[in-house]
Amino acid sequence: MHAGDAPPATAALDPLTAALRSSLPADSVITDPVRLRTYECDGLTYHRATPGVVVLPETAEQVARVVRLCNEFAVPFVARGSGTGLSGGALPREDGVLIVTSKMRRVLEIDLPNHRAVVEPGVTNLAITEAVREQGYYYAPDPSSQQICSIGGNVAENSGGAHCLKYGFTVNHVEACEIVTPDGDLVTLDRMDPGYDLLGAFVGSEGTLGIATRITVRLSRAPESVTTVLAAFESIEQGGTAVSAIIAAGIVPAAIEMMDALSIEAAEAAVACSYPEGAGAVLIVELDGPAAEVARQFDRLKEICSGAFELRVAADPAERAAIWKGRKSAFAAVGRISPAYIVQDGVVPRTALPEVLAAIDRLSAEHRIRVANVFHAGDGNLHPLVLFDDGEPGAGERAEVVSGAILDLCVEHGGSITGEHGVGVDKVRYMPRMFSEADLDTMQLVRCAFDPRGLSNPGKVFPTPRLCGEVPGVRKGAHPLVESGKAEQF
Amino acid sequence: MDPELIDDCVHCGFCLPTCPTYVLWGEEMDSPRGRIHLMKQHVEGTPVTPEMAGHFDACLGCMACVTACPSGVKYDRLIEQTRAEVERAHERDPRERAVRGLVFGLFPYPRRLRLLRPGMWLAERLAPFLERAHPSLGAMAGLAPRVERRQRMPRLVRARGERRAVVGMLTGCVQGEFFPQVNAATARVLALEGCDVLIPAGQGCCGALSVHAGRADQARRLARRTVRTFRKAGVDTVVVNAAGCGSSMKEYAELLGAEPGFRVMDLSEFLVELGPVAERHPLPFAVAYHDACHLAHAQGIRAQPRELLRGIPGLELREVPEAAICCGSAGTYNIFQPEAARDLGDRKAKAVGSTGAELLVSANPGCTMQIAAAMRRGGATIRVAHTAEVLDASLRGVSL
Amino acid sequence: MSQLKSRESLDKTGVTIRDADEGDAVAGVVPRWVTLPETVEEISAVLRVCAEQDLALAPVGGGTKLHWGRPPERCDVLLDLCCLNEILEHASGDLVVRAQAGVTMDALTAALAAEGQELALDAAPGATVGGTLATATAGPRSFRYGTPRDLLIGITVVLADGTIARSGGKVVKNVAGYDLGKLFTGSYGTLGVIAEATFRLHPLPADRRWLVTRVAPERVRELAVALAASQAEPSAVEIDRPDPGGPVTVAALVEGSAADLRALALREVAGGEVAPGPPPWWGLLPDDEPPHGTGPAGETPDAARPAGEVLVEVRFPPNALNGVLDAARDAGFRLRGSPVSGRLHLAPVGEVTEEALAAAVAGLRERVAVVTVPASPYERVERWGPVGALPLMRRVKERFDPGRRMSPGRFVGGI
Repeated sequence: MHAGDAPPATAALDPLTAALRSSLPADSVITDPVRLRTYECDGLTYHRATPGVVVLPETAEQVARVVRLCNEFAVPFVARGSGTGLSGGALPREDGVLIVTSKMRRVLEIDLPNHRAVVEPGVTNLAITEAVREQGYYYAPDPSSQQICSIGGNVAENSGGAHCLKYGFTVNHVEACEIVTPDGDLVTLDRMDPGYDLLGAFVGSEGTLGIATRITVRLSRAPESVTTVLAAFESIEQGGTAVSAIIAAGIVPAAIEMMDALSIEAAEAAVACSYPEGAGAVLIVELDGPAAEVARQFDRLKEICSGAFELRVAADPAERAAIWKGRKSAFAAVGRISPAYIVQDGVVPRTALPEVLAAIDRLSAEHRIRVANVFHAGDGNLHPLVLFDDGEPGAGERAEVVSGAILDLCVEHGGSITGEHGVGVDKVRYMPRMFSEADLDTMQLVRCAFDPRGLSNPGKVFPTPRLCGEVPGVRKGAHPLVESGKAEQF
Repeated sequence: MDPELIDDCVHCGFCLPTCPTYVLWGEEMDSPRGRIHLMKQHVEGTPVTPEMAGHFDACLGCMACVTACPSGVKYDRLIEQTRAEVERAHERDPRERAVRGLVFGLFPYPRRLRLLRPGMWLAERLAPFLERAHPSLGAMAGLAPRVERRQRMPRLVRARGERRAVVGMLTGCVQGEFFPQVNAATARVLALEGCDVLIPAGQGCCGALSVHAGRADQARRLARRTVRTFRKAGVDTVVVNAAGCGSSMKEYAELLGAEPGFRVMDLSEFLVELGPVAERHPLPFAVAYHDACHLAHAQGIRAQPRELLRGIPGLELREVPEAAICCGSAGTYNIFQPEAARDLGDRKAKAVGSTGAELLVSANPGCTMQIAAAMRRGGATIRVAHTAEVLDASLRGVSL
Repeated sequence: MSQLKSRESLDKTGVTIRDADEGDAVAGVVPRWVTLPETVEEISAVLRVCAEQDLALAPVGGGTKLHWGRPPERCDVLLDLCCLNEILEHASGDLVVRAQAGVTMDALTAALAAEGQELALDAAPGATVGGTLATATAGPRSFRYGTPRDLLIGITVVLADGTIARSGGKVVKNVAGYDLGKLFTGSYGTLGVIAEATFRLHPLPADRRWLVTRVAPERVRELAVALAASQAEPSAVEIDRPDPGGPVTVAALVEGSAADLRALALREVAGGEVAPGPPPWWGLLPDDEPPHGTGPAGETPDAARPAGEVLVEVRFPPNALNGVLDAARDAGFRLRGSPVSGRLHLAPVGEVTEEALAAAVAGLRERVAVVTVPASPYERVERWGPVGALPLMRRVKERFDPGRRMSPGRFVGGI
């Protein structure tokens, strides 16, 4: 998927570049080829494309100006925050503009009585929590990359995190967004406003419906009590049984995370997290809430996890952080035990976990490809890390096969091809396995309403982008109303 | 540049929020991830362009990214290799060359620095004019500390009470000339804790400044001399009170290709390992402790200085927000990249100011100079001290 | 003639059809026929005929809120979804349920309770799954669990041309494709027909306690803010003010284990009494008797209408509560709802004329962030107020329903 050696298609962009330069501060337009290439990929390095131009706007008005110019010159644009996405959602276009929001990182307003914060899109997820932590509040969605991923990127991807089991995703915590629409208008979508829930449709649309330039998030009150438990099991099956038992007991922990032996090994190598030795699986269970409730749930949890050979309870925030450290660095840590790897992201109904994990084991053996499993066990969100040596001929292809087969397993079991990383460019080809053509055409109606010219992050999410004027495939022949002259096709 | 080290980077971006230049400018090219990408481009055949060199030069070498990296990328090694490559392959513009020549012809040589001392008061007065001539000269002048009376260090300081260890002590170049009181305090603390302290004469720069600037040959020359000096003194352990020196000396084996034959330890690291015996007298201060990058990130020493400070009765230790972000001093950075250094200094000064502490403690003279200067610019004042000075005052029961 | 042809075509679908009467009126507009599809495919068949014959339609579930929204521009067919009343799948181990649109929330609640689970929406009695989604009604516990859109994880809809489309799925965590469920929730039937829905569930709380206290209006905000921020974590904080100028009853609900202890912690904050059951007004709208199938509106334009036909909803940042309470008092409305979610329902005391209501609503709009009038028999009362993103909404409507057959005119900006 390398862009190849051809020089970037900047020449065709010259008129637009000149217009951008004249309407933005001098140092916010990048055209130097060496600099441009540093933006060639996001957290998914497998797909690369050197952007035609990079702009680094500092205000919403500047973003709108860039988008309007893109419209004027009919040039596609892609938004990028911190560039940590794992589905290539911010993969640039060689014939387009990459709009990077990393300079828009002011926390504009903290409004504790209303449990709100208003931030610019480049503010990092964790920075919001840090701004209100001392007052006893936090921002609940916590993707593993929370120290660097931007809130604008979170909105685009509808990011989750370990704690979304209890608290939900970005979409449940965003109250309003000011967006630049694909034709360059500044519009505010607010949960309080009457009308269609365009905010709900926008969050998670992966940059295809516009660019968020100002985001109002809900702040949550820090729980009175947090108990973090690390339970070590001899096998992943035992861990899985414990997960089911926890749910069956009517407990909704803040998070239930599981790591298998291979991912524990990687985390150990990276951050020396000192998980119990010899564990076939560790389970991280976090209970939070009112102290009295947590205490009762913890007693119950201890009974449920009686099969664990070691049960560690974090005594203070430092120990809690130590338990989480291994889990949160697991992805990047795999770099320590394998030259190359694919981070997969699929979802299965929680009850199908044992069956799917066994099937992944079989795939792994069959294709001689190691698979490390890290997952949000509470909501069935698997993150198999498919390991391979990119120096070995054919290994990459075998890893691709395993990776794709895992997604097939997810769809077969009634799950999803992505729980939180998004479709981006990486999973476009898997969309038809999960959705029918009618489903995809219907989603495309939303796309066409927002972006009839298809300039906003084209090529992402949907497999076969058609022009918005085209009649979708399910409707064979002319539309009856068009035929009868009662309506015109929009 | 070692392509295998470059390939260790998985592009996760966890380094970005810890990188001072990314924090300032928010641009990929000025982040560790972006710089590694530039290195990759160079390894794959792109020549060092002035733009590329500019982004490497802008790196402070604070190594916060090394701490943050979950994949274990050896950015410290990479940037050193890169700087050497830039020095070799890249032609700088003449003004820049002149300033670099001045600094590297001056700082690593204590005797040359000594000649500068009487002119320090003048530097302060001349700062605005120098600023106009070249921002770097202005920065140098603005940072100049008021120099204390020079203290000649004895060759040997005997342990008080029972002797528990024999150690060598590095006096360093900048530390020795501009902050002699820190060296004196270090020797007294070690002695009060039961160490014979050997301070060989003829010590110079340990080579750190040159290593960090990609001047490998000069670095090796200076390192060899330092090794020779301490081997002649016959010590097993060399205690270092300057973070930048300590981190470089700990890597002598790699620089020289041979073990130096003694253990290098930071003062705080050594004291915590040794364990306290001397009585601590109360110091009723609110203290902000600043993590010097070359201590916290390069040597991984964060807990020990805090433990030592907390061990002083009456002393209240306050954490500085954004502690992992560099103050902008970074060895010679504040001289070569005065604007970025200034912005980072201001940011750090604000963070330190927010703690309300009366005293700022750190283990690196560069940081102390930088933050104190930034606080003065912002119209605030804070007293500054090296960890050794605070311990010294407590152990001797004198006020700071 | 064309009417006859339309009826014939509808009959050919095999779907049960009857002639409509006044009891089937949609906000006063009486359709011609009522169709009773039993499957998603039958809905699709009816919609295809409607497309061919250019018939406008409106879907209906329990009919509890059929009088909400503006009267449709036209309405030929009422699509009664009462026969799609099957709970398709309750995966209790996965805390997920999939149900057809016509399932009543009461039936769903009972079925889930049998497995120790619940859908944490406090739907009105008689409401269906589809109707609750289409009107996006939020009950007291939305403070903790969110509104219907937050608990909906998958949806099947039928579009104006008969296309059956799904989005989401039956796993909670899923970001594949656009979330059509969000778009259809609260769309008042103007984008298509909601046929099936999948929700995330919660375990039934082990215990529940209500703290009820009565306070002067000026103390409500402070109290509500303190309750909302309490680490005893109430699931809901509601207020009721039956007399526009009178005192306010504040009630907070705690659920889960240790509910008793936590309710006592709340009492420390707010005073009052802890009770094992809710106050009688809990979760009900302030319009006492929801009118079912009211007759055509505006027969006698100046006559005052019964209060039960008028419902005003206000949305506001919680800290603006005092202004809202004052504005409601000055307008002579009683109110009920959640001060901490920033959503209250207002209703006039006694009868109110068109002019008086229009004036009262206009007055509210000057002082409160968002004021809508979901239910009102009057044409001249502006129901939705200004909507910032209306141009985008129109574009969405144009794409989904270019022929304007789906509940045309009922929603914001006459969408």
